[in-house]
Amino acid sequence: MQENHLAKWLNNDLTEAELAAFKKSDEYASYERIAAASGQLKAPDFNADEALMAIKNQRTLQDTKVVQLHPFKKFLRIAAVAAVIIFGSYFYLNTLNENIVTQYAETKEVILPDKSKVQLNADSELSFSERKWNKERNVELKGEAFFKVAKGKRFTVATEAGTVAVLGTQFNVENREGFFEVTCFEGLVIVSFEGKETKLPAGTSFMVIDGTIIESPKSKLLQPSWLNNESTFKSVPLKYVLDEFQRQHNITVETQGVDLEQLFTGTFSNTDREIALKSISAPSQIKFKFEGSKVLFYVDKNP
Amino acid sequence: METKNTGNVCEEQVFDTIFKANSKTVFNYIYYKFGNEEKAHDAVQEAFVKLWENCAKVSPEKAKSFVYTVANNLYLNVIKAEKVRLKYADKTLKVTHESPEFLLEEEEFKQKLNRALDSLPENQRTTFLLNRIDGKKYAEIAEMEGVSVKAIEKRMHLALKSLREKIEGI
Repeated sequence: MQENHLAKWLNNDLTEAELAAFKKSDEYASYERIAAASGQLKAPDFNADEALMAIKNQRTLQDTKVVQLHPFKKFLRIAAVAAVIIFGSYFYLNTLNENIVTQYAETKEVILPDKSKVQLNADSELSFSERKWNKERNVELKGEAFFKVAKGKRFTVATEAGTVAVLGTQFNVENREGFFEVTCFEGLVIVSFEGKETKLPAGTSFMVIDGTIIESPKSKLLQPSWLNNESTFKSVPLKYVLDEFQRQHNITVETQGVDLEQLFTGTFSNTDREIALKSISAPSQIKFKFEGSKVLFYVDKNP
Repeated sequence: METKNTGNVCEEQVFDTIFKANSKTVFNYIYYKFGNEEKAHDAVQEAFVKLWENCAKVSPEKAKSFVYTVANNLYLNVIKAEKVRLKYADKTLKVTHESPEFLLEEEEFKQKLNRALDSLPENQRTTFLLNRIDGKKYAEIAEMEGVSVKAIEKRMHLALKSLREKIEGI
């Protein structure tokens, strides 16, 4: 007899011989009866349509749209972002340095936090950190400025060419392209240039042109001439003089056949353009003429 | 028995067809296991709602075994030792020419059979009833239960054997 022959018998899987043998056995009648009776059994009623409806109802419930209970959530999110940006930029701007810039033909007076005064000449830029001012009196300068420094801690002016350090004095710093000049009018100024320190007593100047230190004569002025609307030069190459003229009068300068390296000593007005042009051209023996918004300096071939 | 379903389970029509073909068996399947109609109803509900939720992931061919697996897993942690008392729908609406004694004896036998079925191990009873009542082939039951056909045959064999022993008081 096969393994699990009862299961095989129910499934009609017995061979004829096996079936015959099984039918002869004592228990066959009982199994026959069980099979017949169990075949009559019926599971409890199950209403498929009702169950399907129930599932569909539940499905609609689940599919119901979720309504957001916090309509302000979105708004709050935007508000939070905005707050972060505002505070962030506030703190960022707060740590930024103060920056004062002058354009061509413009001067400005700047009062530093310790009441030191700075006169900023045309086309110059001064920056300092107001936050750190109590710790160190540091300013950065591009261009030209005259300083009246209140007495106190070391006061440093940093320029691209060199730094100037004082304790309390009056001095002028000019740093243009290829040109660096410090003039002391009162007290003592220490100039650091290429690692070397030079002490400047009152009335002396320190001048560097194209990297070379140039001895300059003593000045009797009490303050730089540009504060009186004049630009004064002593043995300065003409090109720097013309650059300054350009800055003070906000006009483009062009030259034709002019020796820009010749030294110029003199003063020109920062207010009257005609007089200034004459002041420059006469001693240098050159001519000038206006060409639209420009002024052209040229050498007259036929004097 | 196998309904050929083409298309997606997410389609209302396909889903309905699958439901109509299988819900009764799922119901019975759980009922035979636990003898609890409420649980069986819940299992049908749960299994087909899950099928709907996962309709995009389950192909129509896999839907059948999916619902059995869900229904089965639903009561995995139910204590199996619960005393089972199955009820069967009344089928006595037939005209008989039998003698009253015979009918009485027949009724007695049915009660004995019912008690014997109640006392069967859960897996034997489920297998036996799925075959006898629902006419499921051994292969189908094997698929539902996740076991081999041979194991189902074994259960059937043992079920029949112990039913006889219990009915005849051996």
